[in-house]
Amino acid sequence: MKQVIQKWGKSFGIYLVLMILFPFVMPDEYYRSVGIIIGLHAIVTIGLCLVMGLAGQISLGQAAFWGIGAYTSAVLTTKYGLPPLVGLVASAIVPGLFAFILGRAIAGLQGYYLAMATLAFGYIVQIGITEWEPVTGGASGMISIPRVPFFGDSELSMYYLIWAVVSCVLLFSLNLLNSRVGRAFRAIHKSEIAATSMGIDVRRFKLNAFVVSGMFAGISGGLYAHYMGILDPQPFGLHESIKFLTMVVVGGMTSIWGALIGTLLINFISEGLIAMSEFVPGLQGDIDTIVFGGILVLIIMFMPEGLVPRIRSLYEKSRAKKAKAREELQRMERKATT
Amino acid sequence: MTALLEVQSLSRDFGGVRAVNRVDFQVKQGEILALIGPNGAGKSTVLNMVSGVIPPSEGEIRYNNQGLAQVPGYEYAGLGITRTFQNLQTFDDMTVLENVMVGMHTKTKSSLFSCGLNLGRARKEEQKMREQAQMWLEHVGLASLAFAQAGSLPYGKLRLMEIARAMVAEPTLLLLDEPAAGLNHTETAEMSKMFQDIRANGTAILLVEHDMDMIMAIADRIVVLDQGTKIAEGTPREIQENPKVIAAYLGTEEEEGRG
Ligand SMILES: Nc1ncnc2c1ncn2[C@@H]1O[C@H](COP(=O)(O)OP(=O)(O)OP(=O)(O)O)[C@@H](O)[C@H]1O
Ligand SMILES: [Mg+2]
Repeated sequence: MKQVIQKWGKSFGIYLVLMILFPFVMPDEYYRSVGIIIGLHAIVTIGLCLVMGLAGQISLGQAAFWGIGAYTSAVLTTKYGLPPLVGLVASAIVPGLFAFILGRAIAGLQGYYLAMATLAFGYIVQIGITEWEPVTGGASGMISIPRVPFFGDSELSMYYLIWAVVSCVLLFSLNLLNSRVGRAFRAIHKSEIAATSMGIDVRRFKLNAFVVSGMFAGISGGLYAHYMGILDPQPFGLHESIKFLTMVVVGGMTSIWGALIGTLLINFISEGLIAMSEFVPGLQGDIDTIVFGGILVLIIMFMPEGLVPRIRSLYEKSRAKKAKAREELQRMERKATT
Repeated sequence: MTALLEVQSLSRDFGGVRAVNRVDFQVKQGEILALIGPNGAGKSTVLNMVSGVIPPSEGEIRYNNQGLAQVPGYEYAGLGITRTFQNLQTFDDMTVLENVMVGMHTKTKSSLFSCGLNLGRARKEEQKMREQAQMWLEHVGLASLAFAQAGSLPYGKLRLMEIARAMVAEPTLLLLDEPAAGLNHTETAEMSKMFQDIRANGTAILLVEHDMDMIMAIADRIVVLDQGTKIAEGTPREIQENPKVIAAYLGTEEEEGRG
């Protein structure tokens, strides 16, 4: 904790202030609900960032874990009357188990196998949810899922509940990044051969990263279910998985903060499109899929490292340049005096 | 002295090509064994097999009297075998210090959850890793660059960083693939001195190197490979006078001269 605060102190401080003040800067129920959705997305993308950016894997099934988490908690609380807190714990564990089994099944998670396998998995899960009607309510979904009590259940208290979870996930991931395990992930990303010869069990660590990302997505899904109060299978498809992927890639895969900023950005664009569609009739429908696909392609072509790492390296370069200029100046002054 | 590493009739094929052919040698506890030979002789391939990066096509590798055939690659470091790479394998987006800390992986145990929650144990291990890594960076002379991005360092420094990364794991057998490539005379001499210190502390070294000054100065014994086959073995003096070795090296020089 101390170390994280030292290393990330400024960023984390700014994050906390913005996060806490947002509902008062934008004291509108609608913006609060947007803030909540962004928080829910952020939990998923931070997890995805661990898999993609650190361990170097591509998952196209994050929305499926999200959906499994959502339905797990919804079914347990609505059908079996368990308290939402128990439902939420299960919404982390069950998708984690799915991720474990899936990850184990595709031994080694080499290359693009994970991308293909998670793609197929995503379809199967969405179809499964739709078809398993007695439990999930099928295509028409579920209603009256209880809210999580957290200092009441207003939009404002939900906002703080969800961003409290985001903050925990963020801290966990930042801690992880600067630990033995996080470095092992990053090492695998750069060179599996070198990682192996340092004693890192590449398969196990890839699997671990994948399971954690599944658990994060599941927690977010559980919170989503309790926040919405209703559920249907529609949001848990490939469309959403690609949206999560875009958020991570835009912000910069190798940076946890990048995942957060990418999530904000894509949601702003999403909101912008919705606002514009009121005036431009052509923007209705699945236009956002096209826009996000386009953004994804452009980013991969022109800025593959993503926004946050790019800005950071620009900043460091300019600082190095300034330092050099200062040195030069000092040297010249010294020369002038001697 | 007993054999630490015993290589018996080791072969490796790539497609139809035999890169290493029935090679035998031993590395004794705490000695420096140099493995030399012209380009393409199969030295790196031998090192890759001994470090578990690729499996042998035939033959056996025994370490501390244990066969390594069934041991997965990631367990070698824990057994005390670590290495550096001819084509550098550095983690460019990490700092130099972090790179070396990765080398401590087998010396630490904290789980994903204790790292994420930053529990006491994880913090203690992190501290230990940091101290050990710092110490090795000082040994190799990179202490001032600890917080530089590894990707920004020149080749020679990265070679030193790889040595530090291999040494923090406190190996009993260190495998080095052309550590002096691209270094100047003084740097090579400094590195030779460092290898002698490492040997003095009980770590055996299997050294692949082209720099003859280094080899002659520090190797206890030399094994010579040519086109995958061992053509000679002996002390530096014996090897220097061995006509087969001279022929192998002259042969390649002639070819290069013609080409
Ligand atoms: N992965 C591989 N696939 C196919 N052929 C390979 C592979 N690795 C090595 N070889 C071949 O095996 C032979 C021995 O290569 P190796 O790299 O072991 O030589 P070396 O002695 O290390 O040479 P150098 O001094 O140039 O590093 C060469 O002919 C090389 O082309
Ligand atoms: Mg080689």
